[in-house]
Amino acid sequence: MIQLIIKRLAIAIPTLIIIIAFVFGLMRVAPGGPFTNERALPPEIEQKINEAYDLDKPLIQQFGIYLSKIAKGDLGPSYKYKDFTVNELILSGFPISLTLGISAIIISLLLGSLLGIIAAIKRNTIFDYAVMGISLIGICVPSFVLAPILSLFFGLYLGFLPISGWNGGNIYNLILPVVSLSLPQIAIISRMMRSSTIETLNSNFIRTARAKGIPKRRIITKHVIRSSILPIIDYLAPATAGLMTGSIIIEQIFGLPGIGRYFVVGALQRDYTLVSGVMILYASLLMFLILLSDILRAILDPRVKIK
Amino acid sequence: MQTILNVNDLSVNFDTSQGLIKAVDNISFSIKKGECLGIAGESGSGKTQTFFSITGILSDNGTATGIADFNDVDLLKLTEKELSKIRGKKIGFIFQDPMTSLTPHMNIGNQLIEVSMIHKKNTKNDALKKAKEVLDIVKLPRIENLLKKYPHELSGGMRQRVMIGISLMCDPLFIIADEPTTALDVTTQKEILKIFNDLKKYKDITIALISHDIGVISEVSDTILIMNEGRIIEKGNCKEVLTSPKHEYTKHLLSCVPEWMK
Ligand SMILES: Nc1ncnc2c1ncn2[C@@H]1O[C@H](COP(=O)(O)OP(=O)(O)OP(=O)(O)O)[C@@H](O)[C@H]1O
Ligand SMILES: [Mg+2]
Repeated sequence: MIQLIIKRLAIAIPTLIIIIAFVFGLMRVAPGGPFTNERALPPEIEQKINEAYDLDKPLIQQFGIYLSKIAKGDLGPSYKYKDFTVNELILSGFPISLTLGISAIIISLLLGSLLGIIAAIKRNTIFDYAVMGISLIGICVPSFVLAPILSLFFGLYLGFLPISGWNGGNIYNLILPVVSLSLPQIAIISRMMRSSTIETLNSNFIRTARAKGIPKRRIITKHVIRSSILPIIDYLAPATAGLMTGSIIIEQIFGLPGIGRYFVVGALQRDYTLVSGVMILYASLLMFLILLSDILRAILDPRVKIK
Repeated sequence: MQTILNVNDLSVNFDTSQGLIKAVDNISFSIKKGECLGIAGESGSGKTQTFFSITGILSDNGTATGIADFNDVDLLKLTEKELSKIRGKKIGFIFQDPMTSLTPHMNIGNQLIEVSMIHKKNTKNDALKKAKEVLDIVKLPRIENLLKKYPHELSGGMRQRVMIGISLMCDPLFIIADEPTTALDVTTQKEILKIFNDLKKYKDITIALISHDIGVISEVSDTILIMNEGRIIEKGNCKEVLTSPKHEYTKHLLSCVPEWMK
């Protein structure tokens, strides 16, 4: 296990460097710079600013300076949010995005798996058709369409729930954004879980369990689920990626001060350090989740040897 | 001798997209206590589905009609819940494919002990004791070690022995062995058949041995059924049927057996 973690860390560092280089390159390729304005600055001042931020140096040198700072844990100053470092911005927004993401992932996994299992057990019944029908809609309707509809209905017509703001992490403020983020994932996960559970139910070892006279409930809990959950474990990292991109939009819609808006604002305004800072965070998070799903898989499936 | 299983007018149908498939067509037979019945016939002749229907483990699209009296209880009339109290307790089932018939994520010990813990309400310790006993009967070495292993760490022959062990956990009256040796090499096959012969001799267990291999059947069985296309073609004493077959199909089946086996 420790070996696996060390190995992954060793792979993670070059991967991160490549991602940083890619973002770094992309941002420079985009026209304009962080200090380009509609009203051009006097050339002398622009020159001074560029010097102060090392933007006058050759690209490769800029990249070197940037990397060495990151290695020390310093993501640099923001070019657009004056007086803030990228570290400060991320630190202020990340807890909010993380709360949103973790709640959405846990709800999607639990509810998606549960619905999928029940649909598989009761396949070709009304319940199954209902779950599969609704989930089909859930897959087709992205969260940025779902979110305004939900706010309109629950927030404005019924007046149950606040439609925007963080409010110190109040649970009521969380409900609509988390639901809009989770519903598409619940739809995907419940469909995956249904088909993998049906496949497991039809496998030979379940026939053996039935021939052993094991009660139905125990067959499901002890023999079926640990096998049929495996595709969901593998889906953990892609699901997280989906939630990340989803949350960028959802945070905008619900006016949540997470890191999503820094990503958008940073990209639009060529705030180089802010964008790559957020990217590094996202990439590390994703790699952590891939590691987590590999560890979970190894725990659940004895056939997997941890390498 | 007392009859343990009496099957009358048993039919099995499958509802498929191509219409109704008749897998077993109105068959009747019986097995006496302590007897070993061999069931032979080519692939698709309905051997497996006959016994799946009796024990209530048909696929969802299958239905069985007729009577299957096991110790004077008609199994076909029981509910799933009542049947599950007989399966694994009074009737043991051994499947054709040992490689896929054990739960991959459960260790051998747990797969064994859950049977007697459920049916006999055994404590874990008692169940473990029984597990070691049955693994000894099926001649598996280093039992302590084996209990902690997972199916993928075992060879096909070892897994089939574990399957037989599982079927013995509650001292069943009747064991159904569906092609128990088909997936195994000849040496392992011989050893497994020896286990069946011992079970018959020392434990007085009734056995239904399904195989398309007449050689395998003739080593263990007292009586034999020849099936084809869901019907019973011929039945009777194993030696008699094999030495002087009455039906053309049986003769044809026998002609496929190499000379040295007879
Ligand atoms: N779920 C099912 N749906 C439709 N037809 C089925 C189903 N299960 C079995 N059958 C059909 O029932 C018939 C009898 O099958 P069965 O498994 O009893 O054959 P078998 O004699 O055991 O053959 P083998 O030696 O290959 O195991 C076959 O023609 C098979 O195609
Ligand atoms: Mg068969």
